[in-house]
Amino acid sequence: MTRPDLALRGDYFDGRTGLRHAVELTEPAPGSLAVQGDGIDRREALAELYITPRLARTSRTIAFPDGARLQLADDPRLDRLFPQRNRLETLVDRLERHYQAVAAAIVICLASLVAGYLWGIPWLADRIATHLPARIETALGEQVLALLDRADLEASTMAAERQAQLTERFAGLAAGLPGSANYRLLFRSAPTIGPNALALPGGTVIVTDELVELFGDDRQLDAVIAHELGHQEQRHALRQALRSSFVAIAAAFFAGDVSSASAVVVAVPTVLLQSRYSRQFEDEADRFAHAHLAALGVSPSWFAAALQTLGEEVPDDAGLAWMSSHPSTQARIAAADEAGVAFVAAHPERAGDEPAVVLLDDADVATDEACQMCAACREEAGCADDADCPDCDDCVPCADADCADCADCAPCADADCAGCAACREEAGCADDEDCADCDDCTPCDDAENACGDATLPAGT
Amino acid sequence: MHDPPIASPGELPALPPLPAEPLIAAAPGAPPPVPHPFRFDGQAGEYFRIWIVNLALSIVTLGLYSAWAKVRTQRYFYGNTRLDDVPFEYLARPLPILVGRLIAVALFGAYVIAGQFSLALQLGLALLVALLTPWLLVRGAAFRARYSSWRGLRFRFVSDYAEAYIRYLLLYIPLLLTLGLLYPYVKAKQKAFLVEHHRFGGHWFAFDARPGHFYPPYLIAWAVMTAWIFAASLLLGAVAVALHASGTSAKEPAMGLIFGWMAVFYGGYFVIWVFLAAALGNLVYNHTTIGPHRFQSRLQGRRLLWLYAGNTVAVLASAGLLIPWAKVRLARYRAECLNLLVAGNLAAFVAERGEDVGATAAEVDSLFDIDIGL
Repeated sequence: MTRPDLALRGDYFDGRTGLRHAVELTEPAPGSLAVQGDGIDRREALAELYITPRLARTSRTIAFPDGARLQLADDPRLDRLFPQRNRLETLVDRLERHYQAVAAAIVICLASLVAGYLWGIPWLADRIATHLPARIETALGEQVLALLDRADLEASTMAAERQAQLTERFAGLAAGLPGSANYRLLFRSAPTIGPNALALPGGTVIVTDELVELFGDDRQLDAVIAHELGHQEQRHALRQALRSSFVAIAAAFFAGDVSSASAVVVAVPTVLLQSRYSRQFEDEADRFAHAHLAALGVSPSWFAAALQTLGEEVPDDAGLAWMSSHPSTQARIAAADEAGVAFVAAHPERAGDEPAVVLLDDADVATDEACQMCAACREEAGCADDADCPDCDDCVPCADADCADCADCAPCADADCAGCAACREEAGCADDEDCADCDDCTPCDDAENACGDATLPAGT
Repeated sequence: MHDPPIASPGELPALPPLPAEPLIAAAPGAPPPVPHPFRFDGQAGEYFRIWIVNLALSIVTLGLYSAWAKVRTQRYFYGNTRLDDVPFEYLARPLPILVGRLIAVALFGAYVIAGQFSLALQLGLALLVALLTPWLLVRGAAFRARYSSWRGLRFRFVSDYAEAYIRYLLLYIPLLLTLGLLYPYVKAKQKAFLVEHHRFGGHWFAFDARPGHFYPPYLIAWAVMTAWIFAASLLLGAVAVALHASGTSAKEPAMGLIFGWMAVFYGGYFVIWVFLAAALGNLVYNHTTIGPHRFQSRLQGRRLLWLYAGNTVAVLASAGLLIPWAKVRLARYRAECLNLLVAGNLAAFVAERGEDVGATAAEVDSLFDIDIGL
């Protein structure tokens, strides 16, 4: 029984030469296929033939057992001849032609992209981090330390007694933490990095000499170390390393096929995605620092004060917040200050012990008005520098990182300085303006130091 | 990898003088060669549906389906590439590809993760991969050639591991010793290796470019890049000095300057890279012949730059959804620029001898047919 409706045309190649034969296909009897024309005349059982699965409008090929191939345009009649030869690809082909399936595929792809990033990679990385032997983490930390020592870090120039003193404070801060046995504090000088503290995998915390020198009060340093201990307790360094690796692998995989479209396609998203994980870890470590300080009876405001001092030294670039590895300093100060307020509420007996933290809202940061006032005020008063200029108190609000002048006037508003208040009291002045002697206590920006002793005699 | 398998010199990125058509070794009195254009008929919308469905299936199956996805993708690009109105065919089956992928993923994953833990370990792995590269390269070329066909005839890559190790490993020693000056020479040797070990229809592919042909494009690219970096540094240095003089705090513009410098540097690198890729692509194809026929490639740096830049922006802005559009655009332009100058009859190709290996031998062979994208 011939099917007259089946008369397909195609190109027949015999598999031995490149000769093209224009042929016609018919089904002379059910289950068999005839190929005729251009010197070709053969008949095959359909069961002996293989047909390539359907794929969009791409031409189909019928392969003969002897290597001959017949290429022809896709046609629905072919699927009646060769029903369900390749179930999987037949199904996939159907999906590719269905708009609903395509829409579902878009949703699946985008959703898994987002979900993989938000939960998949963190989950996988954290699982691995949990099961990784501590030995490997320690070895990783040693590697990083060796690299840093070669590149950016130099031996500390800090006095041995001071190092011993700070090491002791560190031990006090770490005491009682689950991982404290592995924690150690290292001192390094870092002219290129500047004031900073680092938490390496495996429990090592590095503080730079520049950081220690920057802070007027050791409680600021304590606060920063509490933050680094937060990184250690939650193994952030290792987890970040693993997450970054997975982001890099995933990005390379997705964009690998467009490799020719340059590395930008891969690099930009990779950096952006990695930095978000990093910001999350910073937030976690901040929260840990707040809680840990409070538990030790130290107001979290000290962390705010530390950030503020750091912020004056190292301004952050608000415009690049979304690719920054740290959250905005202003937001971190505000959070720490809030924790400080809560702390004072819970421990009223400690009130008065916390540092002055100047909260700025964005509007203040944006304008330099206060700063210009600062310079103007000094000029007006004819002072060479802030120490000579009593009016300079007015410019405290201008802690604006953008304003170079302002850094100079910050020390003179030092509320931490017990000596200052004492000297004023002694001299019986209501405020600094009335108190000529008060200038003397400007240099005393160290709360621990016996500044009162040094300045009082001068006042009395 | 979506290049048609012609001479499959991989991702070819040719500027050298287009050989004028009479260059073809035509017997005196023979009719002049007839240019046969390559054509790519794929459509972005159509390929998008294939791509997204196959990607979703790959995700849902945790990557296992990706081998099937690759075969469908390759079949789409091969099947829509035509020469003399005959489409190319991709014949590979998914399973060997799956095996190859699993190995590649394991290697790459180990490499990246090792980098986070131990530099020594990563270097060790990199060295291992470097030692394996020539072998992988030959296996990959053999795999792609074996599973590419046209007019019912398969391509063939004749493996020569010793030569591969010389050109992809040993030559790097003098390259290092000459501080990179030999780079164009090494590239020329590598391209010649890839082209000349391919066979189709009873003919060897031949490559008649000399290493000297590779020097001008590279030297121009290097000179332009150097001038560009110099000019950019000078300009940004001036900006920095101006900013400093204007009294702005020194810390703040520093970041801006660094980002500015990087943007200018990578922008210049990107532009030069694209022009170099066009020049080298033309160079390789224009010096490739098969039997009496010669290839002719007319990629234009400017067009290619426009394509790549547009693709990059589109892919980034669409969270990757325009990747299919980018790939189709590129494939269409590449095919558009490629001709086969046919001298005589295209049907005169015959099957490679020894191609009709028994099924068993083919199966055993295909166990080692690992396709690793390099």
